[in-house]
Formats: sequence, C-alpha cells, structure tokens
Amino acid sequence: MFIARAIPFMLALVLALVHGVFVGVAYAQTTELRFVTWRSEAPEVWNQGIADFERQNPGVKVIREIGPQSSTQLHDLLTQKLKNRDPRLDVFVMDVIWPAEFGSAGWTLPLDRYFSKSEQQGFLDAPIAANRYRGSIFGVPLFIDAGLLYYRKDLLTKYRVAPPRTWTELVDAAKKILTAANDPQLIGYSGQFKQYEGLICNMMEFILGNGGKLWDEVAMVSALEQPAARAAVRFVRDRIIGEVSHRGVLAYEEPESLALFTEGRAIFHRNWPYAWAVANDSERSKVAGRVGRAPLPGFSPAQGAAALGGWQIGVSRYSLQPELAWRFAAFMTGANMQKRIALATGRAPTRRALYDDPEIDKKMPQLKSLLETFKQAAPRPVTPVYAPLSNIMQRYFSSVLALHNTDIDKRASFAGRDMNRVLDLLRDRSTP
Amino acid sequence: MKRTAALALFSGGIALYCLVPFVWFVLTSLKSGTELTAIPPILLPSFHLSFYRSALENYGLLHYIANSIIVAASATMVTVAVGSLAAYAIARFQSKWTHFYLLLLLAISMFPQIAIAGPVWTILDRLQWLNTYQGLVAAYVALCLPLATWILATFFRDVPVEIEEAALIDGCSRLQALYKVVLPLAAPGILTAALLVFIYAWNEFFFALIIMTDPNVQTLPVGIALFPGEYTMPWGEIAAASTIATLPLILLTLIFQRGIVRGLSAGAVKG
Amino acid sequence: MKRSQDAALWFLLPSFCFVALFSLFPIVESLRLSFYRMILTLPWLGQRMVGWENYADLATDPVARDALVTTLLFIGVTIPLELLLGLGIALVLNEAFRGRGLLRAVVLVPWAIPTVVASQMWRFIFNDRYGLVNFMLFGADTSSYLAPLADPYLALAAIMIAEIWKTTPFAALIILAGLQSIADELYEAASVDGATSWQKFRHVTLPLLKPALLLALLFRTVDSLRVFDLVYVMTQGGPADATNVLQFYGYKKTFAEGMIGYGSAIAVTVFLLSLTLALVYLHLLRTSRWKEAGL
Repeated sequence: MFIARAIPFMLALVLALVHGVFVGVAYAQTTELRFVTWRSEAPEVWNQGIADFERQNPGVKVIREIGPQSSTQLHDLLTQKLKNRDPRLDVFVMDVIWPAEFGSAGWTLPLDRYFSKSEQQGFLDAPIAANRYRGSIFGVPLFIDAGLLYYRKDLLTKYRVAPPRTWTELVDAAKKILTAANDPQLIGYSGQFKQYEGLICNMMEFILGNGGKLWDEVAMVSALEQPAARAAVRFVRDRIIGEVSHRGVLAYEEPESLALFTEGRAIFHRNWPYAWAVANDSERSKVAGRVGRAPLPGFSPAQGAAALGGWQIGVSRYSLQPELAWRFAAFMTGANMQKRIALATGRAPTRRALYDDPEIDKKMPQLKSLLETFKQAAPRPVTPVYAPLSNIMQRYFSSVLALHNTDIDKRASFAGRDMNRVLDLLRDRSTP
Repeated sequence: MKRTAALALFSGGIALYCLVPFVWFVLTSLKSGTELTAIPPILLPSFHLSFYRSALENYGLLHYIANSIIVAASATMVTVAVGSLAAYAIARFQSKWTHFYLLLLLAISMFPQIAIAGPVWTILDRLQWLNTYQGLVAAYVALCLPLATWILATFFRDVPVEIEEAALIDGCSRLQALYKVVLPLAAPGILTAALLVFIYAWNEFFFALIIMTDPNVQTLPVGIALFPGEYTMPWGEIAAASTIATLPLILLTLIFQRGIVRGLSAGAVKG
Repeated sequence: MKRSQDAALWFLLPSFCFVALFSLFPIVESLRLSFYRMILTLPWLGQRMVGWENYADLATDPVARDALVTTLLFIGVTIPLELLLGLGIALVLNEAFRGRGLLRAVVLVPWAIPTVVASQMWRFIFNDRYGLVNFMLFGADTSSYLAPLADPYLALAAIMIAEIWKTTPFAALIILAGLQSIADELYEAASVDGATSWQKFRHVTLPLLKPALLLALLFRTVDSLRVFDLVYVMTQGGPADATNVLQFYGYKKTFAEGMIGYGSAIAVTVFLLSLTLALVYLHLLRTSRWKEAGL
C-alpha cells in the first residue's frame, strides 16, 4: 500500500524535475534578461518588439514574467523580489507613483549615467518629473495618461448646452439635460470613486481645479485642510455625487464607470485617454460616434487640472547585467517601440517628437490636441512615502463621500495630521 | 408524510442556498458577449461557448490547471506522509513531547499567513526554490501540517492497539506497523486530511502570487487574477475559468463525500 | 519506555523540519520585526530596535482600533450565523432519506470553490447593474437597483454574506459529525420517558453536541480572524474603510507601505487575539475527552 501511494508522489516529483531540467537546459547557453510586466493589450506588438531586441542582441533571451494588471498586486509582487535583492530581476514596469519610492528604497538603479539630461529633454516634462527624485532619474517613461472629460456630444447638442468650462457649469448642464431628457436610466456624471488609488486622481483634479493642492511640496506638509481643498471635496460630495451622479460610482474603478458611459447611461464621464477608442468602438459601445472629449474643467475657466498617469520602465539595482538591462529599457521606450505601441493600443507616447509624426497623426488625430493637457498634467506627490499618504487620503476621501453627514473640516484636519506624521519621517534625513 | 415534506423543503432550501450563487456564475459563463452586460440581467443564457474558448485559448487556462494539479497533489501526498508519522507518534507514544508538539502545531496555525509570507519567500529564495513546484509545495505542507496532523492523530488513536501489538509481536518495526496496520484502518481520516490539504493548496492565492512569478509554473488562483485587463473586467472569461477551476474539486467532493463525513465524524467528537 | 520516547522523536522529526523552517522561523522573524522600526522605502532610517513602540502606536492608532472593531463585528455576526445555519444543515443531513448523499455533496460545493473565484463571483452578484441580488430584489426596475459595495454598511454585510456562504459547509460537517456520534439509544430512552422532539433536542442533542459546536467555533474563529482573500478581491478594505479588517490593514502596512515593523506588530496582535479566544473556548470545552486528545 505504501508503494501504491508512493508512485503518484514520485511521478509528480519526476515531472517537476523533468520540467525544471528542460527549462534549465533550454536556457543554459544564453544570457537571460528577466522582465516583469503586465500583459499588454497588444501582445503581438510586444512579442515582435522583444523578438527584434533579441535579434539585435544575439545570445540574449528576454524572459517575461507576467504579473497582474492590478497596480497593487503588481506592486506586491515586485517589492517582494526587490526587497530581497533578487538578482533574477533585471527590468520591470513601474506605475507613475513608484519611482520615488523605489528609488529611495534603493531598488531601482539610478539611470543618470545612461539617461542624460539632454536625452530627457526629448520626453514630456511631467513624466520625467515623476521619475526624478533627489536629483537622480529612476525610470524611463513608456506611455503617459492624463485625466480627461468625456461627454455625450449628441445630448449636449440636442439640449443646446455648451461643453462646460467649469465644474459648476457641468453640474448645471447635467441637471438641465437630466430634467429635459427624463430618462430614469441616465445619470449626469460617471467617475471613479471607489476607495483605491484612482480615487486620489479623481479628487485631486477637483482640488487642483479649485486652486488647492494635496500637499505643500516645499514645506512638506499636507494641504488638505486648506479652504480650497476642503471646498472642492465638499463640492464633489454635495453637488457631483449628491445631485448629478448616483451612489454606485462609489464602488467604481475605470471599467465600471466607462461601461456606464458606453451603455449610454451617463452624460459626462472622467477617464484616461484610452477610453476614447473604447467609446467610439461600435462593437463595444452604444454611443460610438456620439462622444466628445475635452480637458477637465476647473472651478474657474481654464483652471482645469488633469492627474498624471502612465507607466515607466525601471532597471533593478540588483541586476547582474545592468548595461544590458538599460539597453532593453532604452529599446522599449525608444521612438520605434513607442510608436508601434501607440498605433496598436492608442496609448499616448512620452517622446515629444512622436506628436508630430504623420503616421500617428493620421491614426490618432486627436492626440495632438491632448498635448497641452499632457504638458500640464499634475503628478501625485513624488515622495518615497507616497503609499502611506495615499492610503490616508483614500480613507479621508472615501469616508467623506460614502458616509452621510460627515464633518469635512474635522476629517480634513485628521487626514492632514496623519499625513504630516508620515512626512515627518522624511525630516530625519540630513540634507544632501 | 409530514416528515418527508419537511425534509424535502429543507433539503431544497439548503441546495438552493449552496448552489444558486455558483450556478448563476456558471450560467453567466454560458452567455454571449452582449447578454453578459444586459440590464436588467438575463437569467437563462443562450449557451454560447465563446467565453470558454477565450479562456482556454487567450488566457491559457489548462496550463494553470495543470500546475495547480501538480502542486496540490504533491502537497497532499507529502503532507499526509509526513503528518502520518507525527500523528502516529502523538497517538501512540503519548508523552510530554508529543503533547507539547500538538499544542505547538495548533498555536502555529493561528498566526496570520500573510504576515509570514515575506520570511517564507526569503527562505525559498535562499534555497533557490522560488518559481519551482517544490518551493510552493513545501510552503503549503508547512501551512497544512497542523490541521492534517491533528485529524490524523485522532483517527490513529481510534485504531485498536491490539492489532498493532499483534503485528509488533510478529516482528514488525513501528514503521511497518504504521503502514501495514494503522493506515488501512484509518483510511477515512487519511481521506479527510488529504481532501482538506488538496482544497487548501488548490485555493491558496497570496503565497502563490509572490512565489510563482514565472508563467510556466503559475497556479490557477494566480492565473485567474491575471485575467482582468488594465481597464477591462472580462466577467465572461472569469466565470468560464472559475467553472472549469471548480469542477475537479466538485467531482472530488462528490466521489469522496461519504468518506469525508465519516472522516470528520470520528475526528471531531472523539477528540 | 525510553525507547518509546526516542522512537517518538524520530517520528516527529520530518514534520518538525517542515514546520520549523517554514512556519516557526517565519513566525519568530515576524515577532522579532515587530519590535523594530523598519520602513523599506526609507532605508536611511535603518532598522532600529524600538521595543514596544509599535504596539503602543497600534493601541493609539484610530485606524487600527476601527479595524479591530470591524474584525470583531465581522466574527461576531458571521460565526453565530454559520453555526446556526450549520446546525440546521447538519440536522437535515442527519436524517436518513433518499438523496442524502447527493445533498451532502451539494453542501460541500461552497467550500470547494477557490476563495478568489468565490470573491469574484460575489462581486458579480452584488454588481449594481447586472447583479443577481438586484435582479432578485427589483426585477426589471433598474432605477431602484442598489450598489451594495458602494455603501459602507452594505459592503460589510456583503463580505459577511460571502464569508458565511463559503464556510457554513465546514461548520455543518463538524456539527454533523457530532450528531452522528450521539447514540440512538439515548433518543430511544428519552422517547420511552415521553419526551417531545424539542425536549429531546434540548436535553439530549445540545449537551452532547457541545464539543462539536465548540470545535466548530474554534476553527471558524481562528480562520475568520485571518480573512484576507475576500477583502483583497471584493473591496480592498473600502468603502470608507468599512471592510478594513485588522489583517488587511496589516497587509497594507507590510506590503503596500513597506512599514514592516508596524505590519508585523499587527500580525502578532491578530495572533494573540486568536490565541486568547482559543484558550477561552478550550477552557469552556474542558471535558475529559479533550484531556485524552492531549490538549
């Protein structure tokens, strides 16, 4: 009986060993470059690109480890390797809010030696700024995102409403259309208000649009208790969610909020640039061709703010082949790859020159008009302690929006106090 | 008559309670793309298999299932083997060491797994067992040993000593007595422990997420976590993958359900 | 006797090796780290031994206190319901009728589904536009549809429902085991004495079921305190931190924020909480049978 039970076990063990040996033998004669990333929406482009790189660098094999799309899950996975100085990680993708954290922790290789200031000039300013910390550059921007306003062109035309230039105009326009259309399924505004990182992007667009800030970068203290910030938050709770949206948005991330818009159930919608292609795809959207896009409004005209998003490529400080890793990072963010990715996925490139490229212009004619928005996109606090700050802010915003009759001023001061306690940790350091 | 009616009513209620959420998900997996997001939701699908095809082809579902089977089966076999030895000692050689060991196991099992994920990763890294089947299996074995040992020990204690003593007198070593006498008689307990470990290893997510980052060896829960696109939530494919992921377990429980109930039966109450 | 003791140690050795390396050592490491201040993203702060500081901070941390309340509320609601439902299911399964085997298999289905699958499933069911719950409550009247996961109280209730659904089978099985071990003669004797069904239940079943009930209580409490996958997939702790159970807060501190010392202190706290509750249960369960089991 023992033998009978041992056989399957031995079989499993043998299978595992064979698998391991196979894998080992296959890669024995090549240099491996390990790249942790999420799965792209255009796998052919990435596969092709990687094949090209391997051809240009004979003897090199790029091994991709695919992680989840969820930024938090990918973060968990990456930090686990990096904090243990795993040498089998060479290159990885970084969310726009990670470079300062990873750079400070000593996980990403400072790239100044390879990525000169003049080279950096070839990229848009905002993403470069997000990749810089304490004088060094820690990542190369791959593509850029910024918050935009989408709206139902047909509804605005039908009810003779102009595209709003301020948030108040937007609320009034939404109310006017809602009353006139008398459609119980229609809501005025769809955004991302779940307690997650995206909430910060949405809320900061309102706060900055009111002349407020999330933090005072120079003094390194929270700015949430300032009147402008508090007023903006109050506006979102009372007028956006209270009057023209529905409670469901408090559980929405990008997919759900976009789905509401593409089903024709929202007049206004806030999302990243990618939503344009989805909303105009007649197979996936009921409102294809009836969609307009504009920069987000502010509280006074032309004071609109857009949150900066996007992904970058970083090199691990513990990589055993930093030169090769850099070459790969440079290749993936090179003009050629960025162009291919842009054409295939609609992602906005980070290299300035590509905004004048005729092919891109032809395929994505609105891209050029977004350039201004991209140039002014506001980053979230670029600091190694962004993660705790984000959790504090998420808690604050979500509490104010989801609970009833919250005392905004009190909660703002609590959040500010918590943020300052975290920021105080940075003061221990002696100046460089 | 009244009794049958009452039983039927309650049985029906229980079946509904247990099955409705899952059946709803299965029905979802059989819908077509447009039916999926219909508002209000459609109850009966038109039996499209497009999501299944997509889950299998575009997302490589079978591959994840194969990895899960390897990991779960190995973890089960190793846990039962190692646990049997310890359980035998606890059941037969009652001493302060075995007493202490059982208490130690119980205490260990109460520590939040998430917290030890980091140190376990480091240990596997030093052993060069990251992204290998044996690494994840070893972690699962350690996590499952407390409960498995406990169940096995209670079963072994119920095996009459006389048969064993007869075997020992006949010249068997302790080990042989264990394998030839005790294990066959304690089969329900082994079955229970095995199923518990298998289900645990099949379900486990967080350790698998951080230990298995190489797509070649990723298990099913991690695979399903990779389904969502950056801004899309493929409910159809997830439902299809979940159906396929759960079927083996349901089959297993169907086959072994009598054994399981008998298993926990003797274990739980006799203490 | 001594040879027995030696033999015992050899038998315990393989198990001890696994447990020592992959459980004991990490736990001790976690415990050790809880006495340090260690923030991964601020390496210049170093790893300073700060004694009880993390625990003191934890005691005054309002978020941790809310998380503890949420956790206790969570187990306070889910455990009794699981036991009650489990008892009901066990009573039915204890009767002999045709199709009992099939029902037993059906009862195991929720338990057999991987937690990450179940979490996605419940997220889908609670969806505010095409979820089953809304459909059952409001049918085609979509404007009345609720958004359970958007409301702090409903979100917590949603997580509780998902948890109860998932783990009731386990409680049911343990209680069923207890039921099946109650000798029929006892019921017969009670019948002879003229007892009604209810009286039999109260005076024969319940007292003899005490060990099984308390056992279910023990296992379920310890597991509930560690609930993680459900929150991770369904709500990520929100909205408004309503589902931020203590261990999820610990995860955020350790993995998302890199505050390893503080995160470890949270884990140790959860552990001590489990231990305390377990000891309370074991004390309540103090019968000779448990002494026999070596507890």
